[in-house]
Amino acid sequence: MRKLFQSVRWTMLLWYALILLGLIAGLGLLAYRLAADDRTSQIDRDIRGFQGAFFRSLFASRPLPKKDDPPSMDEIRERLRNPGDVSSFPPELHALFANGGGGSYLAFWDNDDTPLFISANAPDDIKPPQQAPDGPTRYVERGNYREHHRRSSNGMSSIIGRDISAEQGELLRFGVWIALGGGALWLVGLSGGWWLAGRALKPIDDIGRTASRIAAGNLDERIEIANTDNELGRLGQVLNNTFDRLSDAIERQKRFTADASHELRTPVTIILSETQRALKREREPEQYREILGSCRTAAERMRALVESLLVLAKQDLPSPDGARVSCDLAEIAAGVADLLQPLADEHATKIERELAPAPVQGDPHSLAMVVQNLISNALVHPPEGGTVRIRTASGATEAVLEVSDSGPGISAEHLPHLFDRFYRADSSRGQVNGHAGLGLAIARSVVESHGGSIEVRSSGVGSVFQVTLPSNSA
Amino acid sequence: MRLLVIEDDPLLRHSLTEGLREEQYAVDAAADGPEGLAKASEAGYDAIILDGMLPGFDGWELLLRLRREKRTPVLMLTARDAVPDRIRGLDAGADDYLTKPFDFEELLARLRALIRRSSGGGSSTVEIGEIAIDTATKLVRQDEQVVALTPREYRLVEYLALKRGCVVSRTELYEHLFDENEDTLSNLLDVHVSNVRKKLGAAFISTRRGHGYCIE
Repeated sequence: MRKLFQSVRWTMLLWYALILLGLIAGLGLLAYRLAADDRTSQIDRDIRGFQGAFFRSLFASRPLPKKDDPPSMDEIRERLRNPGDVSSFPPELHALFANGGGGSYLAFWDNDDTPLFISANAPDDIKPPQQAPDGPTRYVERGNYREHHRRSSNGMSSIIGRDISAEQGELLRFGVWIALGGGALWLVGLSGGWWLAGRALKPIDDIGRTASRIAAGNLDERIEIANTDNELGRLGQVLNNTFDRLSDAIERQKRFTADASHELRTPVTIILSETQRALKREREPEQYREILGSCRTAAERMRALVESLLVLAKQDLPSPDGARVSCDLAEIAAGVADLLQPLADEHATKIERELAPAPVQGDPHSLAMVVQNLISNALVHPPEGGTVRIRTASGATEAVLEVSDSGPGISAEHLPHLFDRFYRADSSRGQVNGHAGLGLAIARSVVESHGGSIEVRSSGVGSVFQVTLPSNSA
Repeated sequence: MRLLVIEDDPLLRHSLTEGLREEQYAVDAAADGPEGLAKASEAGYDAIILDGMLPGFDGWELLLRLRREKRTPVLMLTARDAVPDRIRGLDAGADDYLTKPFDFEELLARLRALIRRSSGGGSSTVEIGEIAIDTATKLVRQDEQVVALTPREYRLVEYLALKRGCVVSRTELYEHLFDENEDTLSNLLDVHVSNVRKKLGAAFISTRRGHGYCIE
């Protein structure tokens, strides 16, 4: 039950029911009020008309001598004391003279409250009216009767009343009808509201179901978006984008793991195959030495790969800025170039240095690894006998390091993937020279974690790798 | 039996070639796709061990091109343990596959099975009269007694036994018994044949003059 009321649909319906109830009740009350007022004024008109008719007939059967003058108070008193015979009144006034006849009644009192005329059908408990607080006349409702009380300045007072139980009954019935109609309307409105809430929430339900299927592992599924402009469409769009990024990340992670295990398979195969071969029969020490040498090379490859993977994993973590110190790219590059001079000699390649101070804020060890990867690539990949140029420079906001070679360049199809993990331009998977295709991925990872960028340009003759880092010259 | 190992990793290539040579096979090696395809289409190999990832063009491509001309049994080595890779290899015409890292003994067993299947045999032992040739242990027995044969003599016996009833030409024998690095003097084969005849009886291998040799 608690869960039921936590559901958005039920909450919406509850509020909707309350608001609708308030509106219908207000409208019903207003209608009832208007009807009651209308009825009351109708009754009041009736009462006044009745009084007029009574006085007309009072003077019609026995006209006054001066016909055109209004009757004096005394004449009125006189007439009221002796209204004459029933037969002198029109039929609609006959009820006045019948006991318990119902309908309209009249009563007149003199200024000393002595009755002048009290019609026979008047209620038994009729009394002279009290002085009204505001003016000489007022309408009073007393039980089933509505009466017009008048106390004029000359002292005479009157009550003209009417039995209104029929009207009251009618009003009551009208009220019941309004209540029933209103209730029915409320129920219809509620079911409409339930339907509407369900309809409005259905896309959210669909989104929720799709999202839980995706969360359960069906990463290729996406939320269907019927209308991209409404709120739900935008929500679906946002969720779909999130899922895209999520599945991209998972895909990347999967590929990375697959690639890493793939790169480990070959050295493991070598070690297995060599040791099994060695153990199959007795051998000369020289042969054992050769086999152990192969095993060591394979194990070294695995070590290099594992170290590269660890570096990458570390770069993927958000690093605290504490490890950052002020350092100079030029000094780092010079140090790495010195270190790699033997490799350059081996490839008969000249290293040209063009090093201007380029201060940056960073981890000198990681940055040295970047420079080393770039320079050793430039030394190893192009044909022997070329030139590798290292250039550092500092601008207003950024420090730049460039490593360029004089080789045949890199074809355009490889350029976008060069920095991908395990990508190798020659499509071979063999780890010739112990390269696992992680060097440039590590370089990019380090540079990006330093807030910089790395890019490659290659156009037929030579390739240029450019690292841009935020400058520390300020 | 002569094998071709196509594998780009120098260490693994070396290990496989040496290991297989020690198992009495004549072994050639190739380091990339184009070289592998050239060798595979040129010479008559009894089986090819093919790595999936190769420079030049990869193993699957090589297999597709090779299958246009030859039906040599091919065992593929895949480094990815992914079903699509295996399906792709088998569909391209591979006869078997192994996932790296593999067990060397399993590689040997699969190679034997491949060669046996391609020559129509059903079991690892071929019996000819009182002589039994066990291709798994590489031993030849006569009346339950092991006959000592040199690796090349064994290869000769095994090859002819697997082609039992057929006349095998000298060229074919040269192709299947010696790898590309072996110095093949023209009378070397005759020496081996006469040695085998000495050990297993003169009637074991018959000569069809002008055609070649045969085990009846």
